[in-house]
Amino acid sequence: MVQALNRALNDIMAKNPSVVILGEDVGVDGGVFRVTDGLISKFGPERVIDTPLAEIGIVGMSIGMAISGLRPIPEIQFQDFIYTAMDQIINQMAKIRYRSGGEYTCPVVLRAPYGGGVKGGLYHSQSGETYFAHTAGLIVVTPSTPTDAIGLLYSAIDGNDPVIFLEPKRLYRSVKEDVPDNVPKVPIGKAKIIREGDELSIITYGPMVPTVVSTVQKNNINADVIDLRTLVPMDRDAIIGSVKKTGRVVIVHEAPRTLGLGSEIAALVAERAIDSLLAPVIRVTGPDSPFPYRYEDYYVPNEKRIMKAIKRVTEEA
Amino acid sequence: MEMEKLTSAEKSAYIKAFTAMVLGRTLDKKIVNAQRQGRVGFYTPTMGQEATQVGLSMSLGREDFIYGYYRDVSLLLHRGAPMEAIINQIMGNSKDVEKGRQMPSHFSYKGVNFMSVPSPVGTNLPLAVGSAYAFKLRKEKGVVVATFGDGATSTPDFHVAMNMAAVFHVPVVFVCENNGWAISLPVEKQTETEIYKKADAYGMKGILVDGNNFLEMYKTCTEAVNNVRSGGGPVLIEARSYRMGAHSTSDDPTKYRKDEVKEGDAKDPLIIAEKILKDLNIGDDKLVEKIKAEAQRIVDAKFQECEKIPPPEPITAFQEVYSKNTWMLDEEVGDILD
Ligand SMILES: Cc1ncc(C[n+]2csc(CCOP(=O)(O)OP(=O)(O)O)c2C)c(N)n1
Ligand SMILES: [Mg+2]
Repeated sequence: MVQALNRALNDIMAKNPSVVILGEDVGVDGGVFRVTDGLISKFGPERVIDTPLAEIGIVGMSIGMAISGLRPIPEIQFQDFIYTAMDQIINQMAKIRYRSGGEYTCPVVLRAPYGGGVKGGLYHSQSGETYFAHTAGLIVVTPSTPTDAIGLLYSAIDGNDPVIFLEPKRLYRSVKEDVPDNVPKVPIGKAKIIREGDELSIITYGPMVPTVVSTVQKNNINADVIDLRTLVPMDRDAIIGSVKKTGRVVIVHEAPRTLGLGSEIAALVAERAIDSLLAPVIRVTGPDSPFPYRYEDYYVPNEKRIMKAIKRVTEEA
Repeated sequence: MEMEKLTSAEKSAYIKAFTAMVLGRTLDKKIVNAQRQGRVGFYTPTMGQEATQVGLSMSLGREDFIYGYYRDVSLLLHRGAPMEAIINQIMGNSKDVEKGRQMPSHFSYKGVNFMSVPSPVGTNLPLAVGSAYAFKLRKEKGVVVATFGDGATSTPDFHVAMNMAAVFHVPVVFVCENNGWAISLPVEKQTETEIYKKADAYGMKGILVDGNNFLEMYKTCTEAVNNVRSGGGPVLIEARSYRMGAHSTSDDPTKYRKDEVKEGDAKDPLIIAEKILKDLNIGDDKLVEKIKAEAQRIVDAKFQECEKIPPPEPITAFQEVYSKNTWMLDEEVGDILD
């Protein structure tokens, strides 16, 4: 996925001279995960900017750049460090269009690696998508494959709203696929049905997608597997359509359970498809605790926990 | 050079300082090697900052409170934290006071008033001001010390902490361990001013000191700390040294720099310290070699000992989130450990 993102950024920068990249170590070093590798030598230090260590400055400057006609793609080194910029994100970025009566817009694509997978402990592993999803005015997306990463980035940079682009760092190097030469845009708000089945619907996104797919394959589960790809606005039709067909729902995400995206999905299902439900909706998520260093594998949902949930919903009469 | 008359207490303090620096360096190399062999997950080398940390530590008392950062290994050692505490944290084993919850290098050791280190750079600084306020309110003798890198001076936390410390006139000592780099960013690109000069804008004293020289560091810090202790208000000390290692074991500095100071160079804080001991007639080659050999023996033995310590129980990863776990967490952990 790192290579795919790098390719898309190269492409986007070559096509649109208004695009700039800024962040810590994104230039000369090429990014701590190497996503921006080589960009500075191609596009120069004025468009690939190594900034001082201040996320609030990176985000605030990006907002100003966007207001004044640039297309910034700031990088936050780890999503965990975005919290020092939350005021700019929630009170500025998300509200520029609204508060100016639509006269000003804020097309920033804010990239940040999130989730576990690098033994990063409390502060290099968090999944904070709920904080952004809970703020009106922000588009939130998260790819689970290299091709989708490219397609979503194209759509994000083409849009006119701020996008929080969350990259599952667990998948940076673990998922490999042949990426076609011409990757089509992945529309914002469109989920992907990865597998089709009749017995249940498993709804997931980002870092958990490969775990869910391998669990379903290995255990021959007859399930719809939905990769949301866009968290806000969520693909309501894909979710409800599938639940009406299967009547059983398991939701899998790495973020903590309380007020995780699973809560919203379960509420949507309860509001719009409760008559179709044949079993309680079950969430398999990270626990409501900080993300631990040593026992990362216990924190992140795994095959065993997903299978337990599948059994529970399918064995319900 | 002019010969100073040294008391025997001073002589042994200098030998203790040199010993702590050597222990810090030896431990550092041991951990970096162990990481390469897959025996340790991650580490932030501290090589090059030994004199800064030990000189600072020499100027402090037991009652002083430290908000340190992830490179403060030599500071911890000199302050009296057992080496095992450092190694156990690096290994995240069952004797690690943080119970394997934090990444390596994020130390905590209450026994020497060293507060647990978070990753987000700069975020400890306002906390130091709060602690100092508490000390002042209770008329306690201690000062609060916050250490941080040059990169941290760009964070909002640094600036609010400096401002509030000055406004409230609290006993806090800000020590910037300026090692010249913040991962790949050289300090010249981090800020357009010299760091110690920023103090001026906030209405406190700013002091520049050679962080490669433990004696300079000790003398400068002692004067500054004493002034803070006697009610003189906060101070910012900029100690200049050089990050001799990689930023971390995940970093490849050849991507962005040529190492300017290497081990054994004239600017290496250990070489400078050796020279000081010899110039002051406190030690000779024999003593230096003895201290180094002893350090290697201690480090090897402690490391081996700590490697045998079993991991913590998995459940510890999910405890102490609150004073009492929530029902949600109890339920979730039941499912996880089932
Ligand atoms: C708020 C925040 N942003 C980014 C990071 C990632 N990061 C970790 S250390 C570091 C550089 C810190 O440099 P400096 O303050 O000079 O300390 P040094 O590592 O040189 O000792 C960065 C960018 C972080 N930990 N916290
Ligand atoms: Mg530094």
